[in-house]
Amino acid sequence: MSNAILVVGGGFSGLTAALEAAEVGYDVFIVEKSPFLGGRVAQLNKYFPKLCPPSCGLEIQFQRIKKNPRIKFFTQATVQKVSGSAGAYTVKVHIEPRHTAPHSADLSLLASSLKGETKSEFDFGMASRKSLYLSAPFAFPSRYVLDKDGLSPEDRVKVAGSAFVDINEKAKDIELSVGSIVLATGWKPYDVTRLENLGAGSVPNCITNMQLERLASPHGPTLGAVQRPSDGKAPRKIAFVQCAGSRDQNHLNFCSYICCMASLKQAQYLREQYPNAEITIYYIDLRTPGRYENFRKKVTADEKLTLIKGKVAAVEADAASGDVILEVEDAVKGEKRKYRHDLVVLATGMQPSLAADDNPYGVTVDADGFVVDGEEKGIFAAGCARQPLDVMRSAQSGASAAMKAIQTVRGR
Amino acid sequence: MAQALRIEPDVQFIRELQAAGGESLKKCYQCATCSVACPISPANDPYPRKEMIWAQWGLKDKLVADPDVWLCHNCGQCSDLCPRGAKPADLMSAMRNMAYRNLIPGSAIGKWMQSPKGLPVLFGIPAVIFALIWVFMAAINFGGWYEGGSLFPTGRVVPGKIFYGDYTVDPVFILVTVFVVLSFYKGVKNLIASIAPQGTTMVLGKKKNILVCLLEVIFLEILPHSKFAECGDAGEKNSRKIGHMCLIFGFISLAVVTGVFFVGHWVGRIPGLEFIYMEVPLPFTNPMKILAQVGMLLLLVGLTMLTVRRKGLDPAKQSSNFYDWYLIGVIWAVALTGAFTQFFRLADWAVLAYLVYYLHLVTVFMLIAYLPWSKLGHLVYRTAVITYIRSMGRKAV
Repeated sequence: MSNAILVVGGGFSGLTAALEAAEVGYDVFIVEKSPFLGGRVAQLNKYFPKLCPPSCGLEIQFQRIKKNPRIKFFTQATVQKVSGSAGAYTVKVHIEPRHTAPHSADLSLLASSLKGETKSEFDFGMASRKSLYLSAPFAFPSRYVLDKDGLSPEDRVKVAGSAFVDINEKAKDIELSVGSIVLATGWKPYDVTRLENLGAGSVPNCITNMQLERLASPHGPTLGAVQRPSDGKAPRKIAFVQCAGSRDQNHLNFCSYICCMASLKQAQYLREQYPNAEITIYYIDLRTPGRYENFRKKVTADEKLTLIKGKVAAVEADAASGDVILEVEDAVKGEKRKYRHDLVVLATGMQPSLAADDNPYGVTVDADGFVVDGEEKGIFAAGCARQPLDVMRSAQSGASAAMKAIQTVRGR
Repeated sequence: MAQALRIEPDVQFIRELQAAGGESLKKCYQCATCSVACPISPANDPYPRKEMIWAQWGLKDKLVADPDVWLCHNCGQCSDLCPRGAKPADLMSAMRNMAYRNLIPGSAIGKWMQSPKGLPVLFGIPAVIFALIWVFMAAINFGGWYEGGSLFPTGRVVPGKIFYGDYTVDPVFILVTVFVVLSFYKGVKNLIASIAPQGTTMVLGKKKNILVCLLEVIFLEILPHSKFAECGDAGEKNSRKIGHMCLIFGFISLAVVTGVFFVGHWVGRIPGLEFIYMEVPLPFTNPMKILAQVGMLLLLVGLTMLTVRRKGLDPAKQSSNFYDWYLIGVIWAVALTGAFTQFFRLADWAVLAYLVYYLHLVTVFMLIAYLPWSKLGHLVYRTAVITYIRSMGRKAV
């Protein structure tokens, strides 16, 4: 019997669930697969509802975690096996080595002296990173991580000489006893290479909305200047392609909920950066739930923003100019046209990360990959593991999952 | 006060469309992917997105007046990319199915072709006609070939011993042909009237002669299968294009044989023209006999390709309804009974030869007599529409 709670996933809903439970006196373990907490929010430039930078909301969460002795978190960790039942689960966790000392020492000089570079997955391949790195300046834990495979032989000698690097650290397997589990496994951007008619990721100036977040982020590859990936040109005519893979039975058969708002948000900050830029949003239905409708009104009042009702069904590159040519039927006018843009942003949707074939929790996921049950077993899904949500609602659902988890372990 | 436009949906029409093959039409959410996916839909008035919403709203008037359903060549690209599985290609084909049925009286024939339940009637009519002829010929001991009340003539197998062309097959099929031609005349008239613009239309430039347009359509579009070359993805394109080409040229060969024989057989009786007289069965050295064999082979090859293609369609994307299978099935039956009649005749297996020839006549009747109501009606209706809009200054693309 244990009254500890396991939270799988250190994104916004997972952090919220962990904090809510810990702050009322329950022991919480967070198991995060990547080397840093913060999840998708950490990758954003700005996020709803207040359009703050991610450091703003995440920083306070990180502070609360740091100060709360009831929370223990494991990064680069994955759940291997779950056995037992509600109130008495034994969870096997596999932890990959970080290779750096737990002092959060500033290894920036050592890192910048390294030669080997790898494509940064945090920047969706648009920039490269050293083998010793932090994902973002506000990364938490602010402890460097060493990617041993990316080291050149020369680098290897260099890092081996550091007192704060243990190149021989081995992976660990630990066992946790918990009474309840919160699944906050989150989402990943839908794989654009599957969108064959939208260029399948091979059109250079056709990027995804998450890539644009990185480009626009002050900590991103271009330090916040949005430029065309192919030639670094400042874009003047920008298009957003809504429902790129969402609401489509050939891809994601559901509405990803956030993409319309994300595109409006991005349109707004692009217009701030480029006062002369023209923006077109191609959409099926512009979905701006609840109070977000006010935001829609504000953004679409901009006369340089055009809305065209019609889903983009063909994307091709113009090799000479680097422009992107979209083919759409304007369903209001009833005419089919090709439109030329400098930069095209695919509003790709969210695919749940918890794969049906890699699910040690024994919960059921529906055809789309969302968790549909588990409550009777004391396992509660939160955030985008359960349904597509924005950050605010992810936090709410994290709190709600924490509440249910507490009810499961209380008095045991 | 401004009067709001009130849409009067024809619910019965929606149901009929769904029954005729467009059952998924309600799934459409108007994203307009289909209009872009279609390789031949024009930029200024693309389809099939607008047809989908007209169908959902039951706007029968709009749909019936829409020439675009005939420009669609049913490659299924729109349905492949459709995010909702609304199958716009099936709707376009359902609209055509509705047209075959409703353009001329006799919609019951079209309804029979919609499900296997109608098959007994469609088969029964010619079966009874030709059975009566057969029994009659045996009863009067026609030509003295029927011994001892047998149903099967004696001696060398000659189909004409039962279905003697001059008195039986020819009159039946001349009547059928006249009936079909008149039906098509009426159907085309109704179809053009329904798609013709209301009021007067100003045509910029010289108005094209309709006959010139027809020839252009036949020789530039239909015979070279130029639309088939644009529609669909590469692998699909080929099996559809070549399969359809084989069928068309197979039918053309057989039509030429029938026409030449008909002229030779009847005109050759006019004194002075005896040298062109023809009589079945033709010897294998006769060019017409050779052409007939080529036609038969083309039919079988084309049928195989189209059947394999249709069998391979993903039912989630494009469904095949009974209309589609009826046509393919009847053409298979015509081709196979024709081929086997010849085989059994040469093998001198009298009973089989006569029975199969009887079935051949029945299936040919099923193909030709019901033609204006069947999917094969597109032969005339699609040609008519493409010709008409060409004469109005618009090309199919």
